[in-house]
Amino acid sequence: MTALLSIRDLSVRYRRDGVEATALKGVSLDVEAGERLAIIGESGSGKSTLALAIAGLLAGDAKTGGRIEWFLPASHPRLGRDIGFVFQDPSSSLDPVMPVGKQIAEVARTHLELTWPEAYAKAKTLLERVRLPDPDSALRAYPHQLSGGQKQRVAIAAAIAAAPKLLIADEATSALDTIVQAEIVALIRRLVAEDGMTLLFISHDIALAATLADRIAVLRHGELVELGETGQILDAPRHAYTRALLDAHLGLDAKPLLDRQGTPA
Amino acid sequence: MSVLAVSNLAKRYHRGGKPFAAVDDVSFEIGPAETLALAGPSGSGKSTIARLVLRLIEPDAGRIDFEDSDFLALSGAALRARRARIQMVFQDPLAAFNPRATVARVLDDPLRIHGIASRAERPRRIAALLERVGLDAGLAAHAIHEISGGQRQRVAIARAIATRPSLIVLDEAVSALDVSVRGQILELLLDLQRRERIAYLFISHDLGVIRAVAHRVIILDAGRIAESGDARAVVTNPQSAIGKALVAATPKLIRNRP
Ligand SMILES: Nc1ncnc2c1ncn2[C@@H]1O[C@H](COP(=O)(O)OP(=O)(O)OP(=O)(O)O)[C@@H](O)[C@H]1O
Ligand SMILES: Nc1ncnc2c1ncn2[C@@H]1O[C@H](COP(=O)(O)OP(=O)(O)OP(=O)(O)O)[C@@H](O)[C@H]1O
Ligand SMILES: [Mg+2]
Ligand SMILES: [Mg+2]
Repeated sequence: MTALLSIRDLSVRYRRDGVEATALKGVSLDVEAGERLAIIGESGSGKSTLALAIAGLLAGDAKTGGRIEWFLPASHPRLGRDIGFVFQDPSSSLDPVMPVGKQIAEVARTHLELTWPEAYAKAKTLLERVRLPDPDSALRAYPHQLSGGQKQRVAIAAAIAAAPKLLIADEATSALDTIVQAEIVALIRRLVAEDGMTLLFISHDIALAATLADRIAVLRHGELVELGETGQILDAPRHAYTRALLDAHLGLDAKPLLDRQGTPA
Repeated sequence: MSVLAVSNLAKRYHRGGKPFAAVDDVSFEIGPAETLALAGPSGSGKSTIARLVLRLIEPDAGRIDFEDSDFLALSGAALRARRARIQMVFQDPLAAFNPRATVARVLDDPLRIHGIASRAERPRRIAALLERVGLDAGLAAHAIHEISGGQRQRVAIARAIATRPSLIVLDEAVSALDVSVRGQILELLLDLQRRERIAYLFISHDLGVIRAVAHRVIILDAGRIAESGDARAVVTNPQSAIGKALVAATPKLIRNRP
């Protein structure tokens, strides 16, 4: 495998109310080209900070140390063209007063140097690829006319419009119900495979991450505590914290907390 | 005897000018110290049922018996008195509290409003409540916005039990918590149920959580009951199409431990 990017000793500090807080410290990892890498960890562990740092989206007052090296023809990857980003809340990334077809077409036009008619044709193809029912009328729909799952499909279409090498999904399914979440995960899996994209899948849910990822990185308090193949992380976690996360998972086969008489465990 | 009995409950809303049933002919009972879970996809009517049971909204049809009396017939002082016996905990405790209020203030309110303890007695009661939910008494002086999400949810539970309720409605009460904190809060709820025989109407989209803590489950689809039964049995072997779809969509953590 060849690396798509290499992160060395990355640290990020935020300033809030005059106090500095460390969000990431000394994180080093390589993202292999074409792999599906999950970043997991609890709230505040630094997952989004890592995603934003990779995408070059960190707020201006964040202090960073270390480096991120890309192995791409373009030395400075551009968001939209080289990196697609899908956020938890699709409403925050979609413009409420612009038809969704135009929003997707705009990404294609900007980064692929297409004419408007070409960009609209591309947008329609993308809406078909993300399986939005009736793509022709969906092109003209506004975000508020779509369900949460449909909006997330549109956000994904926009994120992959310029055929980026890297797709980052930051809790992209966390606001959706279980059934819609499974559909979106299946969609991401298919698109990543079809386009040979590299996937950075960020989630607080270790079980969800495991359904999609080749490798899993575990963050805790801003530090990378473990990184390994999904099978190794699940079956032979090296770090006590990873084990604790696995044990805290309440799966459909876990021992119920409720002990009931007369019901065999 | 049941704590709560709901029969043929219905609530209609309008969408695009047309009426639709958010809750449609729903009936169930909850016994003392029992946990009944409500599951179902987004928009299936779970929160609407919670709001109806709490009388935050009024139904279009149906009957609600709480502690063997007609809950919908109550008003004024009788309703306020009965409300002390049915409490709620929601997903986001920050939204439920004034974030600048202190923990002590949040717990003082129900004790005062429901006349449970005299002014002189209340600080001691508050300390006891905090201890009951596993929080340090020193936390009383902190503002709600200064404490962690897990601590806030413990405060919400402390407030709910302050009035000695027989039923607590929990709407996605553990959904926003980290898994380690979630486990502790679920253990706390089970412990309170065992000791104080509180019944729970437990709403969650997570079948793993439901299977871990609920006795029975109702699976809703578009406002109607698609199936119901023993929580473990339903999750292990769902019969309805929506039940099967929910189980199939739940991520499985497949560990091949040596
Ligand atoms: N813009 C910011 N200014 C100040 N502090 C921040 C900012 N963004 C994040 N932080 C802090 O940095 C730490 C890491 O936050 P981050 O958002 O990366 O965590 P996360 O793992 O994505 O959490 P979550 O699961 O809640 O999304 C936290 O302590 C957070 O409060
Ligand atoms: N005040 C209201 N006015 C109009 N429609 C409403 C109102 N409240 C709820 N609804 C609709 O009623 C249906 C049931 O909503 P409800 O909030 O009970 O679902 P839910 O099962 O709790 O979903 P979720 O899992 O997303 O919380 C939905 O279609 C919702 O849009
Ligand atoms: Mg985050
Ligand atoms: Mg709800």
